[in-house]
Amino acid sequence: MLAYIVSLATFVGFFMLLAIALNLQWGMTGMVNFGIAGFYALGAYTSGILSSKLGLPVGLAMMVAVLAGLAAGAALALLSGRLRDDYLAIVTLGFGEIVRLIILNEDQITEGPRGLRIAEQPLAGWVSVENYPLLYLGLVVLAVAVAFALSETIRRAPMGRVLRAIREDELVASVLGKAVLRHKIRIFAIGGGIMGLAGALYAHYVQNISPDVFLPMVAIFIWMSVIVGGAGNNWGLLLGAGIVMVLLEGSRFIGDIAPWIDAEKLSAGRIILIGVLLIVTLHLRPQGLIPEPRYRNKFQRKS
Amino acid sequence: MNLQLFVNGLVNASLIAPPAIAFTLLFGVLRFPNFAIGGYITVGAFMAYTANVIFAWPLVAATLFAMAVTALVVWLSDVVVFAPLRNQEPVTLLVVSIAFSLILENLVRLFFASDVRGFDIPLERPIKVMGARITPEQLDILMLAFAITVAVHVVLRFTRFGKAMRAVADNPVLAQVRGLSLRWITAGTCALAGAIFGLTGVFAGLDLVIEPLIGWNLTIPIFAAAILGGIGSPMGALVGAICVGMAEELTILVLPSTYKIAVGFLIIAVFLLLRPQGLFGQPEIKK
Amino acid sequence: MAINLTRRNALKLGAATAVFAPSILRAQGAEINVGSLTPNTGGGGPFGPNITASHKRVADLVNGQGGVLGRQIRLYQENSETNPETAVRAADKLINVNGVVGILGTWSSSVTLGIMPKCQTAGVIQMCTSSSSDIPMADEKGLVFNFQALSPVWGDAIAKLAVTRGYGSYGLMALNNDFTKSMVDAFAAVVGADKVIKEPLYYNAAQASYRSEVTSLIEDEPDAVFIPSYVTDFTAVYKELYRQGYEGAVITTGLSVGPKFKEAVGDAADGVIHGLPVPPLESPAYGEYLKEAGLEDTGNVQHPFGTAGRDQMSTLLLAIEKAGTTDTAAVAKAIWQVTTGEGKRTVYNVTDGLAAIRAGEEINYSGASSSIEFDAEGMVLGRDFQLAEIRGGEDVVLERLKF
Repeated sequence: MLAYIVSLATFVGFFMLLAIALNLQWGMTGMVNFGIAGFYALGAYTSGILSSKLGLPVGLAMMVAVLAGLAAGAALALLSGRLRDDYLAIVTLGFGEIVRLIILNEDQITEGPRGLRIAEQPLAGWVSVENYPLLYLGLVVLAVAVAFALSETIRRAPMGRVLRAIREDELVASVLGKAVLRHKIRIFAIGGGIMGLAGALYAHYVQNISPDVFLPMVAIFIWMSVIVGGAGNNWGLLLGAGIVMVLLEGSRFIGDIAPWIDAEKLSAGRIILIGVLLIVTLHLRPQGLIPEPRYRNKFQRKS
Repeated sequence: MNLQLFVNGLVNASLIAPPAIAFTLLFGVLRFPNFAIGGYITVGAFMAYTANVIFAWPLVAATLFAMAVTALVVWLSDVVVFAPLRNQEPVTLLVVSIAFSLILENLVRLFFASDVRGFDIPLERPIKVMGARITPEQLDILMLAFAITVAVHVVLRFTRFGKAMRAVADNPVLAQVRGLSLRWITAGTCALAGAIFGLTGVFAGLDLVIEPLIGWNLTIPIFAAAILGGIGSPMGALVGAICVGMAEELTILVLPSTYKIAVGFLIIAVFLLLRPQGLFGQPEIKK
Repeated sequence: MAINLTRRNALKLGAATAVFAPSILRAQGAEINVGSLTPNTGGGGPFGPNITASHKRVADLVNGQGGVLGRQIRLYQENSETNPETAVRAADKLINVNGVVGILGTWSSSVTLGIMPKCQTAGVIQMCTSSSSDIPMADEKGLVFNFQALSPVWGDAIAKLAVTRGYGSYGLMALNNDFTKSMVDAFAAVVGADKVIKEPLYYNAAQASYRSEVTSLIEDEPDAVFIPSYVTDFTAVYKELYRQGYEGAVITTGLSVGPKFKEAVGDAADGVIHGLPVPPLESPAYGEYLKEAGLEDTGNVQHPFGTAGRDQMSTLLLAIEKAGTTDTAAVAKAIWQVTTGEGKRTVYNVTDGLAAIRAGEEINYSGASSSIEFDAEGMVLGRDFQLAEIRGGEDVVLERLKF
């Protein structure tokens, strides 16, 4: 049981990294990103290919994965940073799908639909095989802590105030002499880098990745985590990511207790439950479970 | 060959255009991109299936039934889910609407499972027009789609309801000051859009296969068509639908067919970067 | 919770409790835990429920007779959703919470391969019906047993059967995944590259239209088209083929044209030719399966994967009895002993098999999905293939290839 909890916590960690990144981009700066799966896949495949096919040390491969996420984030923000929210939504979603299609089709490099096997793991051999999952969880927790600290630092720094200004009213921010686009690119790149790191950690953890893993559904779960937890608040989204994962996984145990429930109905019910949770949460707590401190008027419509 | 691709593109467009128009109508009144269109279309397809195959009604009656039920679902979803959240940011509502789409899709799965289904009407062989093949059923869909576009255009331009709807879309506060009932206009728009989604469910069920993902698969092309046309413009949505429908067909001449979805996205991205307000939309000052 | 587990604390915790040895977990309790991880939704949705139902029937049957090694079987059923992301977490739960000795019933190759690292680390046996040729390569510990022919074998067999029909030219189109792609390659190799009109076309599942692909496929009017696929996408593709007036032969796998396909397209289904690895219809094991599953013997293939589910659970339980332990390395060895090799007593069900083993006899289990002989890599050696044509809404057998 403990081994399962460790594994589940590791998966929650991947979700948390993605949620922290999305919170930087959207919660704090107001930039929409529905291409989370694309950044996640980019990180996973970059690190996976570099280490398993080109023999790069895992640590180095993971660093390149972070750089790939950074670069992709910067490029995407540079191209589309001036777009309206709903348009940015489709452009980023398109980015995610294009990344997935490239992975699916360029199978000489990515192994395509066969899936990529990655034997290499970071710090392998440091501890016994039995204890390795704990070591890995430690790595993931470390990554979450670093990303969290980075995000909190940005939020509290003068830059955080600029980002909020951009989120609330871009025009005003630019009138005030803030280099809006440069800030947006920077934040989108940092977010992309964190997502790339999450992907790399995921890849070396499960050791077998295929394009099917990186469907747009990933983005939707992360969005739900951030919204349920409380956009703009880093603590809230940790809670949100935990809740979404527990709901996703918790329903497995219903099957053990009540084996007569049809598996198909069970997985349909699970998705319904998560959807209802999101809607009910927003009805009862419009700013999420742990709202952003001090800046509470952000969601009130400016009319 | 090339004429066939053109016909293919038109048939694609006839599936995408009506829901793209309904999507922009909803956007005008609700003020957020409602991604639950996928769920609505799935509901429409399965309601028509229930009436046509299980109750053994003729397809026309089944279609009307599907349109009525879907209209009701869209209106109810607004009253129960979206209206109380109207103070949220549009993007939050977008995510909520995706969640709602998943709820609808999985409710359908609870009752119908994931099996493939089809209506109780025979498949048709095509007729040949100048070397291009098209079935009578596809011709019907094409004409109906065009008729709907024109009808919505006429309703918006020349009826009191249409004018009220446009007034609300332009400025809800001012419209209310002038004595228009926001509630009734929203309900009317939801019903109209819902009926169109229900009909799309039937079209899609005829064209593809009836399964819970049927609506979700169409969501991106529909959204793309609405964006290309400029959100809020029915004629624009029609032109947008034709562009998207053609792009899907012509991809195969240039790239491996597996990149079909990517090309649609690329066109949207390039287009948005060059002309963010869409083909027919008004340039907007970004807030 | 995760935040408090710093690395150092976590390491201490792990060292102190040593709970990370699943074999310890397995040894606890009187029950033998077995996992059933099947695609009950998603691409494998039409097949998963049959597979897991078969697992359960065999487990219930054996439990009713007193179990294996005097222990009851506890079956844990999970849905992979045909998605490797979900499947990995489900496998995690089966291994670490339920302490299973084996995970049976994975169907899609990406799922089988996706959970393999976890299973290999934990020393858990996998039994699957997947067809990727990567499976034997990835299985480093010899714990994976595949009850399905690899996909090149499918392409090869279906092509050989197609050649006997004498088509002059072929168009190839397939769903873009490993299973179907390697089938296309094998098919083209048998019919001859000169007869294949142009580069194979691949499409993705869940497209909003398949029109341009179909137009391109039939542009040069090939005599026959071969479209390996799954039922959801094939139904949409076939409707399009019909609507674009294609008159040649349509060949696909039996997976795509089950009863739901026939219902969905109605009379237009007539003439579709399809190939599938089939249970040995005359085998007593297949007859017994039909009775167990409550099916009429129609003379046609039913439950191509459900039969494999029966064989998976039967084989595993027989091997455990044979090995006299639930140690997975020993059980894996015993799987060969109870299925493969000559001069042994042939048994067709788990009841007879258990009785024979207890009587000290050597057995060879012959199953409902095939005679179940494994090669050195744990891949099933041969399955019968049949080519059938849909006529009047029924499958009519055209040819059968025996192994």
